[in-house]
Parts: sequence; C-alpha cells; structure tokens
Amino acid sequence: MRVSADDLRVRLQGRPILDGVSLSVGEGEFVGLVGPNGAGKTTLLRALAGLVPPSAGRVLLDGRPLCAVSRDERARRLALLVQSAGIGWPMRVSEVVALGRLPHRRAFAALSEADHAAVARAMARVDVTHLRERTEPSLSSGERMRVLLARALAVEAEILLADEPITALDPAHQLDAMDLLRAISRTGTGIVAVLHDLTLAARFCDRLVVLHGGRIVADAAPALALTDPLLRQAFGIAVLRGTHADGSPYILPWHRAGHTREDDHDPSGPDPVRAPDRS
Amino acid sequence: MTPPMTPPVTRMTPQTRSRRLVAGLGLLVGLLTLASVAVGYAALDLPAALGDAWAGRPTLPALVLMELRLPRALLGALVGFSLGLTGAVMQGYLRNPLADPGILGVSSAAALGAVMVFHGGLAGSLALALPLGGIAGAALAALGIVVLAARGTGTQGLILAGIGLSSLAGALTALVLNLAPNPYAALEIVFWLMGSLADRSLDHVRLCLPLMAIGWVLMLSTARALDALALGEDIAASLGFDLVSVRLRIVTGAALAVGSGVAVSGAIGFVGLVVPHLVRPLVGARPTPSLWPSGLLGAALVLGADLLVRLVPTRPELKLGVVTALVGAPFLIALLVRRGDGR
Amino acid sequence: MRASRRLGAAAGLAAAFAAFPVSAGEKPAAPGWPSRVVSLNLCADELVLRLADRAQVAAVTAFARDSRGSTVAAEAAGVPVTRGLAEEIVALKPDLVVAGAFTTRTTVGLLKRIGVPPLELGVPADFDGVRAQIRQVAAAVGHPERGEAMVAELDATLAHVVPAARSLRVLVLRPNAFTVSPGTLGDAIIRAAGLVNVAAAIGRDRTGSVPLEAAALADADLVVVDASETGTPSLADALLHHPILERLRGQGRMVAIPNRLWTCPGPQIAELVARLAAAARERAP
Repeated sequence: MRVSADDLRVRLQGRPILDGVSLSVGEGEFVGLVGPNGAGKTTLLRALAGLVPPSAGRVLLDGRPLCAVSRDERARRLALLVQSAGIGWPMRVSEVVALGRLPHRRAFAALSEADHAAVARAMARVDVTHLRERTEPSLSSGERMRVLLARALAVEAEILLADEPITALDPAHQLDAMDLLRAISRTGTGIVAVLHDLTLAARFCDRLVVLHGGRIVADAAPALALTDPLLRQAFGIAVLRGTHADGSPYILPWHRAGHTREDDHDPSGPDPVRAPDRS
Repeated sequence: MTPPMTPPVTRMTPQTRSRRLVAGLGLLVGLLTLASVAVGYAALDLPAALGDAWAGRPTLPALVLMELRLPRALLGALVGFSLGLTGAVMQGYLRNPLADPGILGVSSAAALGAVMVFHGGLAGSLALALPLGGIAGAALAALGIVVLAARGTGTQGLILAGIGLSSLAGALTALVLNLAPNPYAALEIVFWLMGSLADRSLDHVRLCLPLMAIGWVLMLSTARALDALALGEDIAASLGFDLVSVRLRIVTGAALAVGSGVAVSGAIGFVGLVVPHLVRPLVGARPTPSLWPSGLLGAALVLGADLLVRLVPTRPELKLGVVTALVGAPFLIALLVRRGDGR
Repeated sequence: MRASRRLGAAAGLAAAFAAFPVSAGEKPAAPGWPSRVVSLNLCADELVLRLADRAQVAAVTAFARDSRGSTVAAEAAGVPVTRGLAEEIVALKPDLVVAGAFTTRTTVGLLKRIGVPPLELGVPADFDGVRAQIRQVAAAVGHPERGEAMVAELDATLAHVVPAARSLRVLVLRPNAFTVSPGTLGDAIIRAAGLVNVAAAIGRDRTGSVPLEAAALADADLVVVDASETGTPSLADALLHHPILERLRGQGRMVAIPNRLWTCPGPQIAELVARLAAAARERAP
C-alpha cells in the first residue's frame, strides 16, 4: 500500500497552492510534512485524502488514480485526522471512536462484532478506554486529541493523514503523541503528519518533506533534509544543533535568519547577526 | 479529574433504550391521535360514527369523523413529525443547536410560496400547486441557509439571517394577501404566520402525505453522514460521504416536508427547535439516534397543542403557533443565554 | 420643484379646511337638497346611490363597485370613490356625509369637530328598522317620495312570499364559516321566510363564526352558502368547499344565494326572503 502524488498541482480561487508536487509514502513510514505557514501543507494533505481536486497531476493509491478508487474503498484505506473541527456534539467517547467504523458498515447496519473489536483496539492503543463514557466538553485538549486519533485508528486504514496532530498540546502530551504516532507506524500504518515543531519532527519522523511556496524543497531523512541553507531559505530561521548523550542529533530553532534573494516575501529581513540583539 | 472506571457497559443498552423510546413515543402519538379524533366542538357519538364509517353509510357523524376529525388528527401528526425531524436533521447538519425551520425562516418562506401560488390562482387549476408553492419557498430558504452556513456564517449570523428572512417573508405574505383581489384574503395572514389545523380535510392529507414521506426518507437517509459531520466536513468526506449529495438530500427533504406541511397548516414555529433538545438527554447527542424520536415527539407536541387549542375556552380558536411559541420562545431564550455563558 | 409642489399641496389642504365651514354653510342651488353627498360605508353607498340623483353623489366607497359584495355595482360605475380617509372627504367639500355607525370612526370624529355632523346609519335588527333607515336616507338626500316607493315595493314583495309547508331548519354559512346570529336582521329574514335559524342552537364565537363540525352536525335541512364564484381564491371561500359541505351538497341540502344580498339592510332583503322561501318549498313541497 502506497499513496503518492505525481506532479500534483492545485489552484484555489485562481491562486496556485501546490505547484508540481511529487511524493510517495508507503507502509510503516512516518513522514513529517513541514514548511512555513502558507506553504501548502494542509492542501497537500487534503489532496492526498481526495478532498481537493487537483488542477493537474494526480494522486495515486497503489498506482491507481485516486479518482478511480471508489469513495468507500478510499474511506477504508485512507484515514484523516483533523484537530481543528473538534467534536460537534457532546457525544460519548466510544461513539466518537465508532465513527471511524462508518466506512466498514452497510447502510442502516448496526456495529458488528468486528467493529466493536476495532473500536476497542483503537481505544486501547491510544489509552482512552477509561474515557469511553465521557463526553466532549469534559475532555482536556490532550484527551480530545487522543480520542480523535483513536477515531482515525478505528478506520484501520493503511495510511493515516494527520493535520497538525500535536499543535494544541502541552510539551508532555506532544512527546506522548509523537511517540504514539511512531509506534503506530511501526505496526505498518503509513503516516503523513503536518507538523510545525521542527525539533519533534526531526526527532521522531523517518522522513521529512519540506514544502515551500507550493513546492517540495527537501524530501529526505531529517538530518539530510533540514540543512542550514534550507532552513534559512524555507523557514527564515537559524537553528542550534547538538547531540544527545545517546548520540542522536537534535535541532532547536533559535533565531530568525535573513531571507535569501529568491524569497519574494520580505527581502529586507533582519540578518542573522543583528537578530539576537533585537530580542 | 478522571472519574473511577464505571462498571462495564453492555453494548445493547443505548440501542435498546433508543428502541424503547421510539416505541413509547409511537404509542404516545397513537394515543394523542385518538384523543384528537375524540375531542371536538360538537358532541359526536364516536362508536356510532365509526360503525357508520366502517359500513360505508354516509351519515353526518360518519362524515364528521372521516372528513373533519380524522384529517385534523392525521395532519397534526404528519406536520409535527415533519417539523421535529427537520429540526433534528438541520441541527445535526449545521452542527448548530439553534437550527430550526421556523427560526431560520424556512417555514415563513414556505407560507409565502403557498400564498403566492394560491392567490395567483394556480391552486384552482392544479391541486398540487399549493404544496408545490410551499415547497418552492421552503427550498429557496433552506438553500440560502445552507449556502450561508457553507460560507462559514456562525450561529449568530444564521439566526440574524433567519430573523431577516422570517420578517421579509411575513411582510411579503401580507403584501400578497393585501393585493389579492378577494376581499377575504387579507384576513388570512394570521393563519399563514401562526398556523392552524382547523377544518382541514382528507384532501389536504392526500396532498401532503406523499411529498412529506419522500422528504422524510431523504432526510433519514443522511443519518450516518450527520454523525460523521460532527467531526467536521473534511472528516465526514474522508469517511466516504458525498457531502454535495448530503446537502442536496437535506435541502430537498426539508423543503418537501416543511413546505408541504406549511401549505396546508400554515407556519407552526418552535417545534423543530425544542424537540431535539428534549430528545437528546434520553438518547445522547449523536444525531442518528435522535432523528426518529424527534419526529415522533414533534408529532406528539403538535397533536397536544392542537388538543389544547380546542380545549381552552377561547373563541375564535387560538392559532397553533401561539401555543407552540408560548412553550418554545422561553426555551429559545434559555438556550441562547446558556450558549452565551458556555462559549 | 418637489418641495414647492408639496408646499402647494399643503396650502391647498389648508385652504380646503379653511373654506369648508363657509361652503358647508352655503345652500346649493336647489333649495334644501344636498348637492355633494359623500358616503363612507358600503350600506350607505347602496341607499345613497338608489335614492339620490346621480348628480348629487360626490363620492362613494370603493366597495360599492365590487359586484361580489355590492348590490349597486352598476350604479357605482363612474362615481368617484374614496377610502374613507378624513383628508379625502374634506377635500371633496361635501354638504352631506352618510356614514355607518361602526365604520370610519376617525373621519366621522373629525367631521363632527369641524361642524359637519354626518348622518350615521345604525345596524337595524328588524324589518321596521330597515324601513326607517330607507326613509331616513331618502329624506336626507331630498327625495322622501323615493323612500316611500322603495318601502312600498319591499312590502309588496314580502306580501307575495309563500312559505314552505313546514318550517325547515336552515344554517347560513358565509365565507370563513360566519353564520347569522340570533337577534339580527339576518335572523329576522330567516324567520320571515318561515324558517328556523339553526345557528341559535350551535356554538358560535364572538365573531359569529362556527366550527365546521358543529355546522355539519347541526343537521340543518338547508345550508345557505354564497352563490358567487369570483375566480379569485381565498381560504375563507375554500372553507365552503370543504368535502363535508360537498357531501351535504350531494344530499341536496345546499342553497346558493349571492353573498351581497346578506351584507346590507335595504330593499334587497325582500328578494332574500323570497329566495329562501322558494328554496324551502323546493326541499319540502
């Protein structure tokens, strides 16, 4: 199972958002999708989920064009996790998680034994089983994120597309969530996650895809992808680099860096030397 | 923060509870329908009337039973079911606990459509013209609301748009009635804006039942999509629901159910707003289990209100919308106040 | 431009008010006869148009032209109409205003204040009241002899009415299921035709409307409904086509009589009595 984009172009209201993106994610991979605001990360994720029609190029599911895959099959094979919409009604947690089984149920059919088992597995995996009778307003942000993740896992899809899964969480829960996502990928699920925290993305992801201005500017293992020139060019930042006692490298965004000439947003940005003095 | 683990929950409980509720409400609707048949302004020997009707003897009691009492009761149940179900579906679809065909102006727009067709003289040439006019008015209003909601208009914006639409439709209804050549037309405004089931006939039932039934089926077919929409449009789409089709079914279904109802009973407010909120504490907040109970409770509410207007000794008879507004308006205000605190 | 026109209109209105007492005080050419009669009420229209010369009538109400409600639609053609607003009436400089006792009260109040007390017609509850009202209006417009002739004709028609063999029970259903309350002129008309008004026995609301089921269960021998089909629909008329009334029609109980005959007291009540009696004779020979 593999989801890929082939020279994907998307225009929204006449503006090009994705400008020739090619990408492929397979089983067991944990891919971080990073880039500055407006780079097109969410649009790429939605295009991979089949929610945005490409203006050119295509999305492929195991080599088949996504538009040729039936709505039901797509729903069973690609799961989407979106935090921002929240949970519209004060439903019980078990009901929310069970929504992930909708693609597997015939119209008007009740939950089957298999559905119940999948819901229980999903809840156990993200440790929300004890919350099953709670309702939305009583959940903390961390609990809500885990419940929504359990909902996405209950689909038991081969690919999980997650839009900013850790943005609303405190550091402890962010670490938990990244750990969890990596563990999930280790069981065979391919994961594409839009992330803003470069430190965590570099630490946990197998691969980072860096989007900038609707194009992929890097697609490689974190250490290879996040080079200093790329970080300056795409993000306009400079980072601290270090090595943990166990030998693993880490990066830490540290200050703004001057923009390069090809960046058309703000050519007169602060230079790296003077920036710390200003803060 | 986390409460101690509750005892293991048996899986069938919510479903069994929901089924029992539906059965109980069905029974209630049945009893109220019978009561509605039994209550009237003139003494009617029910057993004799029933016997005559059964034997096909067109005696006066049989005629009153079949042509006045029965249609009134049936229409109360049908219109109430339509309003309750539409309220539950629209609240679920818009993820908005204040969405209601009455509040959002769908009912008054339906009344306007019906009035335009009726006084345009079209109803005389085609019996279906009246419900079709109501459906057209309701469809336009429902479409407008859905488009507004799709553009991200929030609760307050929708309610404001609804107030505007209701007032506009009400004013245009009054205008059409004033311009109508028939001198009695101007007196109808109260019927169209407040609703009544007085002196309806089986013809009205025949006219709106099939259209309503199609509307119900369309709306009920979106149940699982409504559940999925609780997590937002993207998630619902990722779960395999065709949101364009869902929107179309809901707009068409609501227009058919509310439009044909309003065409024969006038606009009855607040039923669709109140009913889902009464149902949710019993079946939970997920949209699907609340749909049938909301329809049935809506039927019970309208039947009850229609019994009340016949039992309270005011003459001329109170309009139905007066009774439902007396119950519904304080409820709406309480809801708005609580929402204001909560968010 | 517009401002000056408005000013002019205001000045004209003021002039009309100022001139009014003067012109009201002046007598018209023919001694004692009013020459600018304005009527403010359909029933007043009917009597004024029948009893006064056409040249005497300055204006009637718009209702007079509607053949559905009015018995003088033909006579009203070409006569100016008003909506009964005070400023319209004042501008017409009337020397006789005939009004109903319960309609256009604001206008009537104003006319009294500026010294032109209108002739106010009550609602007669019996035939003597109708005769008196005809004579009253005839005298006011300066043609008492026409009033006497109209009363004589009314009495002659009534004298020829042959009641049915037995006194049938009758229910009058006007649009919106309004019926004829006991103690009214309509009730007197029904009695004059030798019939019994069923409405007395069934519950009516304050406005005189009856629930359809009570109307049906009253089991009247005759149900009188409006005969005129205007082609312009209303719920009020639609009610009279309710299937249960159609069933009664199928049983031969329905009698169609034009609504306009019921609306006002006047010579037409004799025709009404005659028609009711004829329908009853047909039903119970």
